[in-house]
Amino acid sequence: MTQEGLFSGSTENVMRWVAGAGIVLGLASAAIMIFVLVRKPEWRVTAAAKWALLVGLLVLPAMTMLSGNVVGFHKVKNSCTQCHTMDPWVADLKDPKSTTLASKHYQNRWIPDDQCYTCHTGYGLSGNVKAKISGLSHVTHEYFTGVPKEIKIHSPFPVDTCLHCHGESAKYLKIEQHVDAEMKPKILTGELSCFECHAAPHPRKKP
Amino acid sequence: MSDAPAPTPPPPRGPVRLVTAACVMALLGIAFSLAHFIGATPLLFTLFMIAGQGSFGLAVFLYAVAILKDLKRQKVL
Repeated sequence: MTQEGLFSGSTENVMRWVAGAGIVLGLASAAIMIFVLVRKPEWRVTAAAKWALLVGLLVLPAMTMLSGNVVGFHKVKNSCTQCHTMDPWVADLKDPKSTTLASKHYQNRWIPDDQCYTCHTGYGLSGNVKAKISGLSHVTHEYFTGVPKEIKIHSPFPVDTCLHCHGESAKYLKIEQHVDAEMKPKILTGELSCFECHAAPHPRKKP
Repeated sequence: MSDAPAPTPPPPRGPVRLVTAACVMALLGIAFSLAHFIGATPLLFTLFMIAGQGSFGLAVFLYAVAILKDLKRQKVL
């Protein structure tokens, strides 16, 4: 690895450093706890043991868990493509002939990174929490209960996700229907889905 | 008059057991963390989030109880 690679500020590289720090801190913490455990039981409640455990049982593991969260939540954003269940949808994203909205967004890099996560996670704290809960159910399906034959979106796709980027853009506001007095409220309330007029986000059926 | 120091009473078993259990639980949490760092898969991440952090949380709780018991035994609290 070149020096430039080792110290580059790219997110991936920072995550490698965070993961490395997490491993070192975790091993140091484990070493302290094993040291405490192999001593005589009476020693475990001495002042020296308390100081050792303050570091080995509280501070270092807390930092390890923090790094684990940072690395995990970064990597898990790309994990949709790791399950074979999603292969057909991923193939469509990368298919140059595809006309779906998702593939256009992916191939034109309108969303540069974490494309699945960006569109399928609501904004704000509740969006992140909901994404984590649904991610947990996806893992449960994939590893334990089995994946349903037909996969469909859990709830209607929120219009806010599209409007977050497009809503205030000049190109969007130039379209008559978007600012029409009758249609605008319907779009904003989600009564009228973007996909009523625009291409489907993903293939209607399993590609 | 004898100069020999009075023998210190052995610590009660409760806090010792709690500290031991706390260490074991924390080690379990660390093991899940290390597994998640080394093989970053969604399953390992889920295990880390639930079992790993859960074990660590329990370890902190047990250790806190051990400290409180010890402080009460020494009549600090």
